[in-house]
Amino acid sequence: MVILENMSLQKKLEILSDAAKYDVACTSSGVDRKGSGSGMGNSLACGICHSFSADGRCISLLKVLFTNECIFDCKYCGNRSSNDIVRASFTPVELCELTMEFYRRNYIEGLFLSSGILISPNHTMELILETLYLLRVVYRFSGYIHCKAIPGADPGMIELLGWYTDRMSINLEFPTAESLRELAPHKNRKNILKPIRQIQLRRENSGIFPEITDKTAIMKSKAPVKDNDIAEIIASGGSLVPYAVESSGRRRFVPAGQSTQMIIGATKESDLQIMTVSEALYDNFRLKRVFYSAFINVNNDSRLPSTEAGPPLLREHRLYQADWLLRFYGFRTTELLDEKSPNFNVFLDPKCDWALRHLERFPVEVNKADYYTLLRVPGIGTNSAQRIVSARKSAILDFQDLKRLGVVLKRAVYFITCKGRMMYPIKVEEDFITRQLLDMGEKLPFGVDKDITYKQLSLFDDMNFVAAQKGYQSLAGCL
Amino acid sequence: MDNKVIYVCDNSIDGIFTAIYKAWSSGYGHANVKLEAGCEKSSYSNYELFSEYQTVETDYTLSKKVSKAIINKISREAYEMVCRVALSNYEDKADLIYRFLILGFLAGAEVVNQLSNEVVNKVFKINKFVNNEAHHYLGFIRFSEHGNGLLASIIQPKNNILSIVAPHFADRLPGERFVIYDSERNSAVLHVPGKPWIISDFDGLADFDIDGMTCEEDEYRELWSIFFKHIAIKERVNLKLQRNNLPLRFRRNMTEFLVGRQ
Repeated sequence: MVILENMSLQKKLEILSDAAKYDVACTSSGVDRKGSGSGMGNSLACGICHSFSADGRCISLLKVLFTNECIFDCKYCGNRSSNDIVRASFTPVELCELTMEFYRRNYIEGLFLSSGILISPNHTMELILETLYLLRVVYRFSGYIHCKAIPGADPGMIELLGWYTDRMSINLEFPTAESLRELAPHKNRKNILKPIRQIQLRRENSGIFPEITDKTAIMKSKAPVKDNDIAEIIASGGSLVPYAVESSGRRRFVPAGQSTQMIIGATKESDLQIMTVSEALYDNFRLKRVFYSAFINVNNDSRLPSTEAGPPLLREHRLYQADWLLRFYGFRTTELLDEKSPNFNVFLDPKCDWALRHLERFPVEVNKADYYTLLRVPGIGTNSAQRIVSARKSAILDFQDLKRLGVVLKRAVYFITCKGRMMYPIKVEEDFITRQLLDMGEKLPFGVDKDITYKQLSLFDDMNFVAAQKGYQSLAGCL
Repeated sequence: MDNKVIYVCDNSIDGIFTAIYKAWSSGYGHANVKLEAGCEKSSYSNYELFSEYQTVETDYTLSKKVSKAIINKISREAYEMVCRVALSNYEDKADLIYRFLILGFLAGAEVVNQLSNEVVNKVFKINKFVNNEAHHYLGFIRFSEHGNGLLASIIQPKNNILSIVAPHFADRLPGERFVIYDSERNSAVLHVPGKPWIISDFDGLADFDIDGMTCEEDEYRELWSIFFKHIAIKERVNLKLQRNNLPLRFRRNMTEFLVGRQ
């Protein structure tokens, strides 16, 4: 290990932002907090992007590691202990100064603090806690703080930390315990799920946070938990919260909730497995977000898939689309994927794909259909569905109106009627509509759309390639 | 009556509201009046034939009456929307607001939902445009530190968003002296600790070199640029996406795109 004496702050920042960048979450959303009138900072529930880096991702928070010295040797991670790289650590004061000075100049919305495991999980958590305590209490910072809880740390530490941060996250890393064991031998899936559960229970019982409690949560229909680890952790109940401190009044426990992250494409899991885990996390742990991170083989480790041709961005994109469908559109994973087709269609977005397989439900009458039925129409999103519902109170809507309301008509025309009529005569037939939708193409984010051709798709990852090949053949057969 | 009466007013919320009061109470009928706000860039549009032009002096008492009427008879939401439209760079905004209020006083609070109506839809879209730009600036404004800890920022927004962003920064930075200068309109938000913020015309700042000497010595500018460079993932570089999310027009005043470029 290389450790430089008296490293400059610039050098440290270079190393520790470089080391933190693979963590996806950079959102500053979830909390509305007015300034305290003294000190510095406030927070907006919608979040604020302050810049966009060369990869097009939002920069909202000062995202750094406290240290990249790490005793763990996770195969996928650039900071693994077996790598011979320069190591650095901030001091708590350095981090506070940096956060405050960046914040005053309006560079950032707050701090995102993660860390390698220095000496032990508890030791690392103490350093993080010291930093956040300084920042909140001494520097009187009321901006946004997102911080990682270190799996395996003492539950008491997590309890303390929760009062100083807005959001906490613990990365699940992989959907299954086997993959985690294989690629992160020092991590343990239950040690990851336990603090997630602990934070959830604490949030729901902090006395101030009016969240749905576990009892009411159960009333909601949930998919039965097939995942043994998740089932076990849920069953262990309140014993995970070490002690209940009455909160000091103004402060709330992890007010912006929790998020987690899974790496996509480093292991064998199918989209179905990934989405099933996400769904279980949303249902049972009430996570705010699950992030998906296209795997990049930073260590050029030959035991892991090569990403020389680029990370699996399309697959990541499809997972985010599906994630959206779960959270805002009322879809369940089992509607989108099954054992027979466990991976998302490469050519069609998950909602279009679903609609084409359920043409018997279409067309729907825009002036009558309820909100959730409207949401299932390709080309109608949450915004346009809400606008339709409010606009039709005072008028009978026509196709021209829908355009004004932001509906993507060229997709929606195949699935809707206005005043009982389709826009023009259309055969409601799977092959025909599939062909139309494929012809018009899909608006993919820049970069993902780079050159999506049949050949290029093979670069994304092998598993999807095989699926794509099959999908393509069967599609080709239809046409 | 054959001639249209065109009310020409100040390009401000109060100016437009005064003209609305005058036009409404004139008795000429909605179809026979038109409102024009003195435009930001061009002077008034082409003079129309067979029209009578009336210049409206801004009157704060009348303007207040209109505000109250909108809040009481339509809704606060509609009032806020109308104010944002009045701050926009849309040329026909004064007349648009007038037409919107005609509908509003008829339909009440419901009016904001009547999105299939062209006037309401236009108001909705402009309102969103102004809101979005203001929201962008909440993140993209960059302060540089000058002597005595003064924080200064220059922006060139399309819409007049200073009064929308000011409360946010005053709440966030209560202990700071700061200036946000809109060089398009030559006006600025000024904030001093312990006092309410104000907006004032600020010709003096035009010569004030905001990226001048003091801030080049500011090590945090350098540190921020380092962070900005290192947080990008090279395997995912995507300048098109970056430009889509952060259009070039914002970058001319953003530290991370300036440092090291001189």
